Amino acid sequence: MTTTTAPSTRGKPAVAGQRRRRFKSGTSTLFFLVLPSIVLLLLIHGFPLIQAFIQSLHNGTLVDPGPFVGLQNYIDNLTSATFWKAAGFTVVFTLVGVFGSWAVGLALALLLRTRIPAGGIFKVLLLLPWVVPIVVSSTAINWLVATSSSPIPMLFANLGLAPPLFLADPTWAKILVCVFKVWISFPFMMMMSSAALASVDETVYEAARMDGATSQQQLRWITLPMIARSTYISWILMTIFCVNDFPTIFLVTGGGPIDATNTLVVLAYRTVFQNQQVGPGVSIAFMMTVVLVFISTLLYRQIRKAAI
Amino acid sequence: MSDLRIPDVSRRGFLKATGVAAGLALVPGLAACAQSKTQTSSGGGTAGTLKFWDMPWAQDAYNKASEAFVAAYKPAEGLPNAALQRIQWNNFTTTFSSALASKTGPAVSSGGGFQAFQFADQGYIAMADNLISTWEKDGFRKDFLPGTLEAMKTDKGYVAVPWQTDFRVWWYRKSLFDDAGAKVPTNWDELMTAGEALKKKGYFGWGDGAGAGNNIGAHTMVFMMINNGGGLFTPDGKLDVLNERNVEAVDFIIQLVKAGISDPASVSYTTDNHLAQWKNKKFAFGIYTAGLDQALGEPSGADLLAASPLTGPHGDKAILAFGNNIMMYTNTPSQPGSEAFLSYYIKNMKTYWQQGVVTGLPVLQSIVDLPEFQKSASNVKVVKEYQPVAKTYGTRSTQLFAAMAQVDGSQPLAQFTQSVLGGQTDAKSALTTLQQGLSTIVKS
Repeated sequence: MTTTTAPSTRGKPAVAGQRRRRFKSGTSTLFFLVLPSIVLLLLIHGFPLIQAFIQSLHNGTLVDPGPFVGLQNYIDNLTSATFWKAAGFTVVFTLVGVFGSWAVGLALALLLRTRIPAGGIFKVLLLLPWVVPIVVSSTAINWLVATSSSPIPMLFANLGLAPPLFLADPTWAKILVCVFKVWISFPFMMMMSSAALASVDETVYEAARMDGATSQQQLRWITLPMIARSTYISWILMTIFCVNDFPTIFLVTGGGPIDATNTLVVLAYRTVFQNQQVGPGVSIAFMMTVVLVFISTLLYRQIRKAAI
Repeated sequence: MSDLRIPDVSRRGFLKATGVAAGLALVPGLAACAQSKTQTSSGGGTAGTLKFWDMPWAQDAYNKASEAFVAAYKPAEGLPNAALQRIQWNNFTTTFSSALASKTGPAVSSGGGFQAFQFADQGYIAMADNLISTWEKDGFRKDFLPGTLEAMKTDKGYVAVPWQTDFRVWWYRKSLFDDAGAKVPTNWDELMTAGEALKKKGYFGWGDGAGAGNNIGAHTMVFMMINNGGGLFTPDGKLDVLNERNVEAVDFIIQLVKAGISDPASVSYTTDNHLAQWKNKKFAFGIYTAGLDQALGEPSGADLLAASPLTGPHGDKAILAFGNNIMMYTNTPSQPGSEAFLSYYIKNMKTYWQQGVVTGLPVLQSIVDLPEFQKSASNVKVVKEYQPVAKTYGTRSTQLFAAMAQVDGSQPLAQFTQSVLGGQTDAKSALTTLQQGLSTIVKS
């Protein structure tokens, strides 16, 4: 008995010790396994990020880091009218970009769900604005509207109307850039919505129809809640795409006229590379990052709250 | 079987592990960074090769011609060979700055008109004084057109050597003036009169462009200030935007805009849009670079012609020009090698004009005298009439300086140009905003 009980009572600490040893050796194994990845991550992401943050605290040029100014660059930006003008248009551009492209994309996804002739061909054609390189589509839009000899101003002139200054008038330029963003982004939303709609069980609609639900009620109370999770994900992604969208603005208007279409990312670029003010420009980028993380977190919480 | 398995790891254990890894990663990274500042790189390329960075100065024909030209360089015994690398204009300041800071930059380069002054201030430029004194001895210095070489001189010496001049030129389309029965202007009053006559026929007497990437509009603004005896800087290189001559010049442009003599859409014209308006015979008169006829593929001296420099209301006749230059850097495998290559380049560059692959105008009299150059009536006229009255951004200063590099292509200048061409401002307000904007970026 003693021989049987003794090992069992001593066995517990022996097993625990074994586990501890295994844990220790396992930890070190894990450590060495993940070490290359962590080193790479720190070198690729961490180091430039820290370096950039340090730059944002200095007032230097591309060559000379310049004197340490603390948070002065952040304060200067936050008290600058140009910064807030750019921030304001970034909000407008993002809201129109996200919800405009979502509305168009969802509408087309619902339409393509019905049986229409050559639906597959339509799907491919509707993807083109997303697939075509932005350089090509921005050149096309410029060709369409830029000068008095361009097709759309010519059309207005031939109809006896005064051609709008699509790129030269601040209001028209804002409208054009937002519409262009919706146009190049809706295929992405259409794909996301199509994928989400495909997962909604048709029998739910059958039951709703039997209960006398109208099409609008089905959309409001069945479709939208059931694709909510996918919708929130697409909103998060499109928000990030819009806030960080440099080429759309830069290629179509360059941020003009008179800074009317300047967004924060374009302002950051122009501050660093055109004005050669590295610190103030990088600080704009950092503030953008903080705001993006905040918005993404909020939307991510909505995903968790979503019904399905 | 392997005994390897993933154990349960506590959060603290994981953080400890990552912390150690982070430390391990950062220490060599930071150490490498710190070392890079103190290391003395061989620079300018591997031993025996001298890096020459060149910009795409014209169409593809220029790129091919310059590659052949550099390849044809045969250095003297013991001196390094040269290798060409093409640098795009997009973000070129960043490209040069980061390369110089990391000691991977060129030994010799072309570049922005004021780049040499900016980098000389930062200690990256090898002065060309020795080379120029050699040219004085062999008589080559006399070949430079008056004022071209002198424009490169600073208190520390010659920061670069000019190789072509980029003039801003008054152009007019003869057929449109004939159609409108207008006289080609010779002064500002006549410009207004001609503009009104052209407007009646649907043409623009003030062709301009200030859209994304198009600096002609900004240059036009400074051109008009200079043409009126004003400018952006005092003689000692300080910002002086809000002077009376500038206000008068900008006020005149706003009058042209409000009179409908300027194209209202020009605010957003890219270079392509700008050229299209000239090509489509919408622009009858305006400022552009030399070689506009060549850029549009039109025969020289036919319909698109260079006008004589206009006289401002106070009798001033100055025009804006940029002295494009070639500079040497201190980070070179061999300074005598850099000088030998630059000397070869300048003394033999006439081949570009013989082949007709550049639109800039020569700085050497021997090139101006070439029959190939003399064929272009507009180019000859520009050299003859514009060169003597050419001014830089420095205008009233006898020397160029680094601040000009910070102003040219800057956001405040672009915004100012768009606000003036938009016509929704007055001269004093626009110039006040410009002064405020430039004072934040000019570190002089």
